[in-house]
Amino acid sequence: MRVAVVVGTALLVINGTFPLVWMMLTSLKDENELIRVPITYWPEAITFQNYVQVFDQLPFARFMLNSAVVSISATVICVLVAALAGYALGRLNMPYRRTLLTGIVMTSMFPALVLLVPLYRMFLGMDVPLLSPLVAFLHDVGMTFMPTEVRTPNLLNTYWALIIPYVALSLPIATLILTSFFQLIPRDLESAALVDGCTRVEALFKVIAPVSAPGVVTAAIIIFVNSWNEFLLALTFNTAQTMRTVPVGITMYQGEFAFPWATISAAITVGVLPLVALILLFQQKIIAGLTAGGVKG
Amino acid sequence: MALTTPHAYRRPGFWRRLRTGNPTEAQLGLILLIPAALVLALVMFWPIAQVLWQSLHFERLNVPARGRPFIGFEHYQRMLWGSDMTWDARHLLGWRLLAFAGAAGLWWGAARGVLRRPTALIWTVIVVLVAGLWMGYHPGEAGRWNDARFWNAFSITLLITVASVAGSFLVGLPLALLANVESRWRWLVRIALLIPWAMPRVLVGVMFAWLFNYTNGVVNDLLGRAGIAGPLWLSRAEPAMWAANITIVWATSAFVGLILLAGLQSIDESLYEAAMVDGASRLQRFWAITLPLLRPSIAVALIFRTLTAIQTFDIPYAMTQGGPGRALETLGIYVSNTTNSLNLGYAAALAVALFVMSLAITVLYLRWIYADD
Repeated sequence: MRVAVVVGTALLVINGTFPLVWMMLTSLKDENELIRVPITYWPEAITFQNYVQVFDQLPFARFMLNSAVVSISATVICVLVAALAGYALGRLNMPYRRTLLTGIVMTSMFPALVLLVPLYRMFLGMDVPLLSPLVAFLHDVGMTFMPTEVRTPNLLNTYWALIIPYVALSLPIATLILTSFFQLIPRDLESAALVDGCTRVEALFKVIAPVSAPGVVTAAIIIFVNSWNEFLLALTFNTAQTMRTVPVGITMYQGEFAFPWATISAAITVGVLPLVALILLFQQKIIAGLTAGGVKG
Repeated sequence: MALTTPHAYRRPGFWRRLRTGNPTEAQLGLILLIPAALVLALVMFWPIAQVLWQSLHFERLNVPARGRPFIGFEHYQRMLWGSDMTWDARHLLGWRLLAFAGAAGLWWGAARGVLRRPTALIWTVIVVLVAGLWMGYHPGEAGRWNDARFWNAFSITLLITVASVAGSFLVGLPLALLANVESRWRWLVRIALLIPWAMPRVLVGVMFAWLFNYTNGVVNDLLGRAGIAGPLWLSRAEPAMWAANITIVWATSAFVGLILLAGLQSIDESLYEAAMVDGASRLQRFWAITLPLLRPSIAVALIFRTLTAIQTFDIPYAMTQGGPGRALETLGIYVSNTTNSLNLGYAAALAVALFVMSLAITVLYLRWIYADD
């Protein structure tokens, strides 16, 4: 049994890490070595030319910047919104809170694909209910100094076009995680603050907020990873070269028929570095968050 | 009536409590939920309502002259029964009404308690299938009665869902059991479980496309060393399906493993000790204790996996863009392709089909989970 466990664990580790390790090894080989048969496992001559190619062919640094801006903003906004909701659902005595939580979690089951077209229209700019018809009417009756039409701004190819949907897509899971964390904080802590003369809002910021920091970090990491990895919406909404995110950008290296595997593998290696760093730093927190989301269901 | 105070104490009203910064718990809760409600309403519910509405309209952005007329359920009709049916519609209408009446009768009976709901459900499915076949509807077969591409995408999605959900459980359970063993290498195990979860799905697809490369891929190299000629993984329909499923299982089994691991860790150790005292073997302990107590975790993982599997898009798209031919064109890819070909009305109808499928599965699972409570 002992041997079986050791072998199994070794297989598990190889299974989990091999594809990524293989990408790293591939990225260190030069083009000619890649197309050789039989394939080499360890690079014969290590070259960093592919990494130079990554940044030469496309503005990969810009992709990284875009991904970072979008993911970090989405994370900050989503954590704020989810923390408020999580506090309400996890700590406060309010009617229907289980139903509300189930409702919020259920929305995470909406396919992001369904949102694609309506969000595209929305970000393209659309009429504002009530306001747009009013302005059009006023313009028609002679108030020509007013703008002809009122539309929401065109958000395509801006960071907002991604930040807004990412906040919404991660909100259910973040709310779930934070709700279960808030439930763990002992009620006495808050009661003590209330007895000492804090109002409820003060108690929230002075007592609960510092204690809930670990939960917030966990939720933040998971939102960040979700946002960094999103592909479909990023592909559709931000089509300008300078506004691409990392996952979309990497798919842009492949040509019509040619797959420059060396460059692609180097790009993948660079693109997932932040994720690997997060895993290495916060593995236990991430697992706690994922399973908090899972076990509660 | 005995105690009437001259100046009765009035509880502070809603607005007063708000103004003084001391709202009741329910008030505060509602206020704190406002941002989340706004976000979900704006980015989730409003778009879904729009998709439902859009699916009842004709809209092709490449035919702007036709505008956006209301066409009712024609998209769904085309999706399920085919587009060139209109000339024959009157002939088939009677049969359809008959089938509908039959189904309605069944459900009327179920509501009156004549027969049980599950029975009514099964008979409804039978009636729909028989009526459909009678009217010439053959899922997945190229014919004049249906959008063959929809049924192709539907069956591919179904196949990927069943295969990859089953696969991720078969792989995920051993992963969880192994990760639950105390050892010095636990941190490494955790990392190995987290990497597949954290990788962007598209990049997983790209990575595995390289691993499954015919001439330079690791898979074929290893197969070659074992004396097996590896197939053209990504350019033949059947191997491509295998490759896609293996990739999806790799990407998702770790997540299943993590959820099951949490379930395993919540099982009381003393149960095992008691079973050991009673002389239960390792396998018996697994069947009698681990699996039953793991059921809630299994249910949760199953829900998440099934729902994500129905929406499969990234991995087949990255590996072959839905090819070879349409061998990997899932519903998700079909929706995206239809959108890209600017047929927004039909894309919306397809998206609704996807949405209805995930909703139906969610409801079924939820009923299953709450059945015991």
